Amino acid sequence: MTDGDTPPTTDTDGVATGRDGRADGPEADPDGPRRDTTAEDEPTEDASPTVVVDDVHRSFGDVTVLAGTSFEARPGTVSCLVGPNGSGKTTLLRVVAGLLAPDDGTVERRVEGERTVGYLPQTPSFRPQFTLSETLEFYGALTGVDVDAEAVLDRVGLAAVADRSVGALSGGMTRLFGIAQALVGDPPILVLDEPSSGLDPTTTEHVGSVVRGLADDGRTVLLATHELGTVDRIGDVVLVLNDGEIETAASPATLRRETGSETLVHAVSQYTASGDELTVRSEAWEEDG
Amino acid sequence: MSDARTESGSDGDRWPERDVGDRADALLAVAQREVDTLVRTRSYGALALGFALVVIGLPLAGDVAGYVPLVLDLSTTVEILVPVLAFAFGTWSVLADTHSGELEVIRTYPISRATYVLGTYLGRAVGLLAVVLAPLVLLGAAVPFVRDPASSVLVSHATVDSPTYFARFVALTSAYALTTLALAMAVSALARTRRAGVALATLAVLVVVFGFDALVLVGLAQGVLGGEALALALGLSPPGAFRGLVLATATGGVISTGPPAANPTASVVGLLWWVVFGLAVATLGAWSPGGR
Repeated sequence: MTDGDTPPTTDTDGVATGRDGRADGPEADPDGPRRDTTAEDEPTEDASPTVVVDDVHRSFGDVTVLAGTSFEARPGTVSCLVGPNGSGKTTLLRVVAGLLAPDDGTVERRVEGERTVGYLPQTPSFRPQFTLSETLEFYGALTGVDVDAEAVLDRVGLAAVADRSVGALSGGMTRLFGIAQALVGDPPILVLDEPSSGLDPTTTEHVGSVVRGLADDGRTVLLATHELGTVDRIGDVVLVLNDGEIETAASPATLRRETGSETLVHAVSQYTASGDELTVRSEAWEEDG
Repeated sequence: MSDARTESGSDGDRWPERDVGDRADALLAVAQREVDTLVRTRSYGALALGFALVVIGLPLAGDVAGYVPLVLDLSTTVEILVPVLAFAFGTWSVLADTHSGELEVIRTYPISRATYVLGTYLGRAVGLLAVVLAPLVLLGAAVPFVRDPASSVLVSHATVDSPTYFARFVALTSAYALTTLALAMAVSALARTRRAGVALATLAVLVVVFGFDALVLVGLAQGVLGGEALALALGLSPPGAFRGLVLATATGGVISTGPPAANPTASVVGLLWWVVFGLAVATLGAWSPGGR
């Protein structure tokens, strides 16, 4: 088990010249909420990591999805997992959330509490027969606490629709409600699978603000996303996943600097592309995104 | 902060032991969620209405001669319809959460598979029993008012007609419903898609209602089963056990000849076995700690 303070960085030699700029959404919004980037440097490492993933392997049949993945995540930070479709992001998140056991390697969650991980699945869905409040109260009962549904919903901006049926929510609101659900029981680790996927720019920015705020409260946030604009805006660490391995782990600014890229899109593409061709593996398993 | 969780492909439910009160709260929360889901879903109301119309309509279409005749009138109908109803109520329980992906969310909460499955079963059982028992109780309550005195000869030679027999029939019907619901839970947990759930449930209903008895018939025809072995074998089939217990305890002995009935002890053991089997399969199938 690694216990060093340096985020594990895999070999980045032989970086291919990738194509420039996938359509991953807008770059950083200058008016949106941002992480503290006064130093424009690596995130602070004075806090001990709360998530330590060490040499995790996971296969589905003959398809190897995670091939020795290692990284650490610390409280108060947003770690953004980026990579092409099929690179293993969802599988890695599910392993960290405890939903999937690794074939080999270890996952440590160095936290305490009744509920240690809050999880937002890629496509959140809840029983449509219930209101938002009722759903949160149900989840509160599973943790053994009386949940203040209104306060939790207020955190994500849904307090006004607390009594609305879950089935009547829009896609963006369902995703926000999924984040609210992840907060029930106040878990110190949040694992969010594409929290802003398919949302309009305004809602995307709102989701980013919410996620940033959750990290600023001291939570460890690990999210997967294709929205590199959001990553640039709220991310402390960018974990570039390619072919089941973390190619690099660095702040957005460092990533740009080290690759000589003006945009994060270009910087990330340096790690995920092979020649001019983006590496996208066939999706031989249903769950992975 | 301490090193609270380390996973390396370990098996078993990953949540630490919780005290009994917390587990009971979680169990009741899951059960309440199922009850509310049933109450708020119109299709279950339609099923309940259909079942009530058949169960109440069939006896009333003829003469209601008393409690025991009512038991005899209803036993075959119940024997076939209750499994259908149980699978309709139970199949879309765990499967609903699997299909929507909400089961993955539930798994991030401190709840074990056993608590989740048992809570789901309890909630669905409350709904199913309400639907099954309501028309039966109504019918039983109506017997004194609609009984046709001229046609009470069926029971007059053997025993005194009594509501006790009908009450036993209702209790046995409840046990039969709970048994078939447990099997439906197993199907619900094993199926991964809606289509697979429908196919598995249809197959399971056919096996439960006809398959076991067909197997016994084959055994009888080939001379493998006979005498006490036949009575024991019938007890291991859910409808056979139900039928045997009804004939043994709820008909007042009016049926003294006819096809062989299941051994009552074997019937009780058989029904209990299928409940345990169904819930065990459902628990193991709900999710795998190593990922599904």
